[in-house]
Amino acid sequence: MAESARMTSRRRRDYAMFDAELTGAVMNLSLLRRLLHWMKPYRATFAVSGALVLVASTLQILLPMVVSLVGIDYVIGGQTDTDTPDMGLVELTVALSDGLGLPPLLAACCLYVVLQLAWAVTVHAHRMTLITSVIKGLRDLRLDLFRHLETRPSSFYDRVAVGRVMTRVTNDIEALYELLRGLGALIGEFAPFLVALVIMLSISAELTGILLLALPLIAVVTFYFRRATRVLFRLVRLSVSALNQNLQENLSGLQVVQLSRRERYNHRRYTEINERNLAAETKSMRLETAYGAFTDSMASIAIGAVLWFGGGDVIQERMTLGGVVLFTQFIAMLFHPIVVLGEQLNVLFRAMASGERIFQALDWDETIHEPDAPADLPARLRGEVTFRDLCFRYDADVPVLRNVSLTIAPGEKLAIVGPTGSGKSTLIKLLGRFYDFDDGQIFLDGIDLNRIRSRDLRRRVGVVPQDFHIFSGTIHDNIALGDAAIDRDRIVQAARTVNAHDFIAALPKNYDTPLSERGQNLSQGQRQLLAFARVLAADPEILILDEATASIDTETELLIQDALRKLTAGRTSILIAHRLQTIQEADRVVVLDDGQVKEVGTHDELLAARGLYFTLHELQFQETGTATGS
Amino acid sequence: MIAFSGVGRAPRAPLLKALLRLRVFVARYRGRLTGGIAAFALARVFEALIPLMLMIGIDRLKEGNPDVLAPALGIVAAVCARFVTVSFARMAVRRAGLLVAFDLRQRLYAHLQLMGPRFFGRYTIGDMMTRAVADIGLIQRLISHGTILSVILIFASVVGFTFMLSLSWQLTLLIFPPLPFIFLYAWKASRRMGLASRAVQERLSELGGHVQENLAGIRTIQAMAQEDNEIARFAGTNQRYAGAFRHQARLNSRMSAIMPTLAALCSVGILGYGGHLVLTERLTVGEFTAFFLYVNMVVQPFRVAGFVVNLFQRAAVASDRLFDVFDRAAEIEDAPDTAAPAHIVGDISVRHLHFAYEGAPRKALADVNLDIPRGESITVMGRVGAGKTTLLKQLVRILDTPAGTVFIDGTDVRDYPLAQLRAQVAMVPQDPFLFGEPVRENLSYDDPARALDLVWQAAEAADFRETVEDMPEGMETVVGERGVTLSGGQKQRATLARGLIRHAPVLILDDCFSSVDTETEEHILSELRRLRRGKTTILVSHRVSTARHSDRIVILEDGAIAEVGTHDELLATGGFYAELERIQREGADASDYAAAAGAPA
Repeated sequence: MAESARMTSRRRRDYAMFDAELTGAVMNLSLLRRLLHWMKPYRATFAVSGALVLVASTLQILLPMVVSLVGIDYVIGGQTDTDTPDMGLVELTVALSDGLGLPPLLAACCLYVVLQLAWAVTVHAHRMTLITSVIKGLRDLRLDLFRHLETRPSSFYDRVAVGRVMTRVTNDIEALYELLRGLGALIGEFAPFLVALVIMLSISAELTGILLLALPLIAVVTFYFRRATRVLFRLVRLSVSALNQNLQENLSGLQVVQLSRRERYNHRRYTEINERNLAAETKSMRLETAYGAFTDSMASIAIGAVLWFGGGDVIQERMTLGGVVLFTQFIAMLFHPIVVLGEQLNVLFRAMASGERIFQALDWDETIHEPDAPADLPARLRGEVTFRDLCFRYDADVPVLRNVSLTIAPGEKLAIVGPTGSGKSTLIKLLGRFYDFDDGQIFLDGIDLNRIRSRDLRRRVGVVPQDFHIFSGTIHDNIALGDAAIDRDRIVQAARTVNAHDFIAALPKNYDTPLSERGQNLSQGQRQLLAFARVLAADPEILILDEATASIDTETELLIQDALRKLTAGRTSILIAHRLQTIQEADRVVVLDDGQVKEVGTHDELLAARGLYFTLHELQFQETGTATGS
Repeated sequence: MIAFSGVGRAPRAPLLKALLRLRVFVARYRGRLTGGIAAFALARVFEALIPLMLMIGIDRLKEGNPDVLAPALGIVAAVCARFVTVSFARMAVRRAGLLVAFDLRQRLYAHLQLMGPRFFGRYTIGDMMTRAVADIGLIQRLISHGTILSVILIFASVVGFTFMLSLSWQLTLLIFPPLPFIFLYAWKASRRMGLASRAVQERLSELGGHVQENLAGIRTIQAMAQEDNEIARFAGTNQRYAGAFRHQARLNSRMSAIMPTLAALCSVGILGYGGHLVLTERLTVGEFTAFFLYVNMVVQPFRVAGFVVNLFQRAAVASDRLFDVFDRAAEIEDAPDTAAPAHIVGDISVRHLHFAYEGAPRKALADVNLDIPRGESITVMGRVGAGKTTLLKQLVRILDTPAGTVFIDGTDVRDYPLAQLRAQVAMVPQDPFLFGEPVRENLSYDDPARALDLVWQAAEAADFRETVEDMPEGMETVVGERGVTLSGGQKQRATLARGLIRHAPVLILDDCFSSVDTETEEHILSELRRLRRGKTTILVSHRVSTARHSDRIVILEDGAIAEVGTHDELLATGGFYAELERIQREGADASDYAAAAGAPA
């Protein structure tokens, strides 16, 4: 069981699929079915909403009937006995006027007011129940998606662009909102449409038939209009994002632009994009205006048709005058749903593609293998690390580590050196359990790493990467990293130890100074010190450090080296070293080459041995006669 | 409630004044707008004819007269006429809106290009993007929709009331009392909706930001076992967005239930009193029906009145924010064509240069004096904040160089036309910025038309050739956010090539080797010596290995020159440089650490 799980996580995956632009232009019903899973907890609310929309639609239909059938036919026309179905409105009015002793006209007015208020209440209740359940369902889906992505292993993020992953959580879920909202709008349009249709058919099938003739015309025009706008909207979207991107980039690199005297050239380019945008916007504006005016006009022309065809019926007493007036009032309800349907189709197709992308991400089952029976770690590890016959390869067939065997004593400071691609970072990534391995073993105080839950392990093994990632928030937040157990005292203590306190104290709000995501307000050296403070505050038993390569001014360099000494004091430390100083101060140096341990010893011993280390040292540090960086 | 990034701030000028300033931009399209408005007025008249025709038809039916052909055709004719005029009017006005937005964008772009560090110290790029996108969008909407809506509001009322009055003045009076309430409610509601939708936008961008930042730092999160914390934190952000969204949906739903209900109250009055008038035969059934339609024509626009007011207010603030930018003068004044020599040779002299940044308590440069003869190579060194970059920026006037302090070939840099100065004095800034364009264009940024083999030569010199060759499309590979991502060292070598390609008489490299390993740096430095023979070259570096090959080394300390001399001379002096050399050669000892830890980083 465990073996098979391990195999699936190591099988080859088509990462390109994740990055591919999916264009799900087909109706995909299984997608909707999957979506329903997240809506299920709210099905009671959905049922209520469905019932409410029927009530609201009926009320919406009754209102014009009060005016035409009750007001015009009964009260004014004095017709009490017509074939026109009035859904009991006339009787209700009669009962009201008899019961309250009101004149029929006033009774009709009261009825109208009551129906109108009832409509307002039910339609609001319907919309709120619907949208609330949709919002909640999608909120849950988004959280599930986020949780899923948050726990994908490094091997996933090695291969997939973060931007792509991000849009699934943001834009794609937004598109689903649009989809469900659109479906809600369609229900709100089609329910009254159907009720109105039934009533119109019962008043005059002939006249209804004539009006329905206009529907195909509107439908065809709507279809072509939407098809044309889909293309145009895309052009507009593209040109707008090109405009913004151009401006943004020009401003970000303005100094380079000015130093290269590119102002005029860049402005010409911008003008081109601006003109393209104007042309696309104008085209789509013209089309939209014409379409809007067209649907307006259809409704008005239909009024003429009702008058013309209905007129004869009235004269021949096949229809009441109120019936004709009612027809003119129903026209909007008849035509509007098609227009809305047209609007929603584009949204629907876009949302289909989004849904596909979301579920593809949710189905991505790549994980780090967790032990079935995890070992319990003692409160404090001694910090002995043993690698035994460790071999590793990524997807490719090239082995990255070959038979690495090595024991690091508790509290020892070990420097790893080796040329690029020798397997240095892979070795420490395996120690952090960022990848699954099954060829060879790693022990922590004698406990097999594969028997330790990865999150338990990562609380004991602290990693300082080359690049310090800043989360937007204060300095405090960036050091504590959400761990409530780390209070201000501990943070200040950590910062003091790694020489970061002085520059933090000099900042306007010291530990509460907000940091921007890219950390422009900090120098490279300061960021390095913060990374030290972060790991020291977490106080892991084992420290892994990937030393930054960039050279910094010598003074800051000294601060960093000093901090590093304090950080590693009494703590098992594994350092991928680039600086001579770091190597010299290590207890032992391991030379990796081509995935194998080539040499082990102190700096002086290895130099004396005149082996690979000696050559590396000559290349990196001696040639230029100075001793910084690699 | 929520602080919006500048959008909601109090305007500098009264609203009306801010709007009126837009007339410069609108004036060009005056004809288009007037034509559109006139067409709109006409369209309203055609629209008002429709109920009139319906009225005639219904009354004929009521009287038992089957001849409704004329009114039915009349409706069709009125509809067609309305279609044509309305379409024309809308297109004219919306096009004017698009054109004004076009002009505003052009102006903003051109203007921002003249801005410098002082401006961007005050405004962020994000702020400028908001102005370019949201504020110009608001003004465009004001012209495209605001004009149409206000015209509808005015003409529909005037025309509708005229027709209604001619039918029955009593009924007309009846619809007056509810109108102010409709207007007030609409106004309030649309303001609340505006706030709510901005809140949704805020929450959405918070959510997007959260996801982006989280995923960018996923390795750190996983390494520190912070996944659960992060998921809980995200649940909060997610819930806040859902809450804002729901709030907006509620306002929306409530408004679209209340509005028709308010309008219906007008109808009820007409139903009751109008019905009474018909019963007492003072009004015909046709007139009664027509009245209903006219009421709609008048009430409908009142429902959007609040929206229109809101549109005007927001556009006024937007206009104010745009002119806030337009009103700023160019930061660096260009010199008119003067008698400055057309070709710079490269003799630089700095005389008593003092410089302080705006609002800074102390001077960044204090009495700097330096002569760099043509062809010399100089390395400037010093602590962070010693003034190295500030000094070099004076040579190309990226900062506003004080008059009479910096001379090139004996002429004040302020007397050179900017374009010439920056063409012949090439500076590569510290931050290696690449544009989202092909590599070729990034390297030959100053001259996109430069021959390809020259670009390759520069790449070669900056040790960037192999990197480019390994890229999927070589020189045509797009780099940056939406293209191939480069490491810090690769970016530095790319920008280095961008500077080398220009073969300028003076070349300034501001700390361009920090992420390049020493071996590569050696190679580049020797290329540099070959290419720059006889030309002036100024470097900034922290490494003695870089500086030692220069003709002279300048040490800056607190904005003043502390040491000047050759490598050997400075070693002999035993100052800051000698100290650096010792630490970098031998490594630091305990006393160095103690000294460093005692001083601020």
